[in-house]
Amino acid sequence: MSSWTIGFRSLKRRRLRTGLTVSGIVVGVALMAVLLALLQGMNVQFTEMLRGIGGADITVYNATTPTREREFMIQPYDTTNQSYADIIKNNISEVYAVSPTLAVNGVVNGTQCTITGIEPDTYDAVTGGLNIMSGTSLPEGEEHAVVLGKVLSDSLGASIGDAVSVGTTTTETQSFIVVGIFETGMSFFDRSCYIHLDVAQNLTEKHGLISTILVKCTNPDVVDYVANTIQILIEGVRVVTQKILVQQVSQITNTLGVFIGAIGIVALIAGSFGVMNTMAMSVFERTREIGVLKAIGARNSTILKMFLAEASLIGILSGVIGCIIGVIAAFAFPIFSRVATRGSAGIPLLVTPVVTPTILGIALALGLTVSILAGLYPAWRAARMKTVEALRHA
Amino acid sequence: MPETIVETADLTKVYKRGKVDVPALRGVDIKIRKGEIICIAGPSGSGKTTLLNLIGGIDTPTTGKVFVNEVDLTTLGETELADFRLKNVGFVFQFYNLIPTLTALENVEIPLVLAKVPKKDRISRASELLELVGLKHRMLHKPDELSGGEQQRVAIARALANNPSLVLADEPTGDLDSETATALMDLVEDLNKVRNQNFIISTHDPLVMQRGTRVYTIKDGKIEK
Repeated sequence: MSSWTIGFRSLKRRRLRTGLTVSGIVVGVALMAVLLALLQGMNVQFTEMLRGIGGADITVYNATTPTREREFMIQPYDTTNQSYADIIKNNISEVYAVSPTLAVNGVVNGTQCTITGIEPDTYDAVTGGLNIMSGTSLPEGEEHAVVLGKVLSDSLGASIGDAVSVGTTTTETQSFIVVGIFETGMSFFDRSCYIHLDVAQNLTEKHGLISTILVKCTNPDVVDYVANTIQILIEGVRVVTQKILVQQVSQITNTLGVFIGAIGIVALIAGSFGVMNTMAMSVFERTREIGVLKAIGARNSTILKMFLAEASLIGILSGVIGCIIGVIAAFAFPIFSRVATRGSAGIPLLVTPVVTPTILGIALALGLTVSILAGLYPAWRAARMKTVEALRHA
Repeated sequence: MPETIVETADLTKVYKRGKVDVPALRGVDIKIRKGEIICIAGPSGSGKTTLLNLIGGIDTPTTGKVFVNEVDLTTLGETELADFRLKNVGFVFQFYNLIPTLTALENVEIPLVLAKVPKKDRISRASELLELVGLKHRMLHKPDELSGGEQQRVAIARALANNPSLVLADEPTGDLDSETATALMDLVEDLNKVRNQNFIISTHDPLVMQRGTRVYTIKDGKIEK
């Protein structure tokens, strides 16, 4: 028998109150766990997205696309001239390869998705190529070939050799043969498909227009130089290096992290008032008990420990339950969001939360810390009580 | 040779109620020898409890000295007093004051836990004491499953846990019927005879007073005889 036993029994005796108090902290801990898992998921996804644009050191696109999310290819860019690709290739000797691409909103078998037109040879040279799971990449000369992302092909139920209808609207489509299926592990790309650039241009009547130029330099040290040169060489384009992209991504996730942390902390602070209230009630109700314990020789520090143990138990219980609920919620999240976004393939915001031991550790520690901090003042008051006065308490 | 276990010298205690000073004790000199059952009698508000609190070291006098086992309690700090109480004094209260969430056995264990007695010794000592007060069969019951008399016996067992030289009981029979009170006093007498256990009991119950080795009567904060 120890402070823990006494605390545990006291909590057990007031089950409803304990339950409600614990719930307050559970909400905070679970929220924290889910939000951190989402953030982690976002990090993983962004990292994969960067890998998705592969070895491209520099991306060039129309400068009139101002919003940040377009930098992450969430929506097809405004178009610019395909001839710029040649200008870059021919005028800068440090450029190893250049690949123009055209991304448009389209429809495949009635399902909306992004259709990207690429030149297979230059695309491979710049990015290292699509990660083909089965079949092949786009074969030269086969005009109506399409490579589907894994998620898209699954949702269409299409496999290699099947004919699918591809178009910019549901009414104007052409028949394409599925030649390959790729997977990047990143939902946005895996819900899209790739066709030949010229075919895409014909399909959309955007002759000679592209949305992005991917550039690979001869060596990493010249990337900034090449980017600057492109900027000077061509007017009206935005030039983004992968380095900047990485910086922007980490900036975004950092900002999100602060935001998420703030939400979680606010929830935990709200819960902490519950703990403080419960502990204050517990101290008040047990005033006489405190008097008795002190009379029979308990030091102030013993009383303090006893009530801190009680607060810690609330914290541990809340932390564990909160983490369990958080993990369940994190796993349920993609299912819900998938249901919510079904059929609108243009929305790629399917972040899959990633739960790591660190996240659970942080959530658990926060729950415990908040509970102990909230219990500190009531416990201190209990410890400081005058024995005689406490004994006189009705 | 009877040696002195408690001695007070010109003990006074003044409580402050707002701006008014309320004197509870006005110069008390008592001397208690080893092996005595001392009753402190007097009407309520006379200062009985205050005197017990000062002897037990849970309150400090305004002026005067308290010696228990030749230690001057007025020289001890808060933590030293707590340690002193743990080893030297057992308390029994009118309303038993057992911890409601703990069993009889665990209640008796508390002083042993505080004294850092190892678990095994603790349990055997606590059950011995419960046997001594005739409650071995009720060991695992919680206070609300015990009668008043039984709870008070548990309280006595708890008070004896660390072999204190002194057990202070504040109106221990105040909440008991006369039959139960008689049985409780039988126990007190037994413990006094068999273990030479000192008791200081505040009471206004004649049934208790007749069992005392000596009776101090206190009125308006002063000893009358």
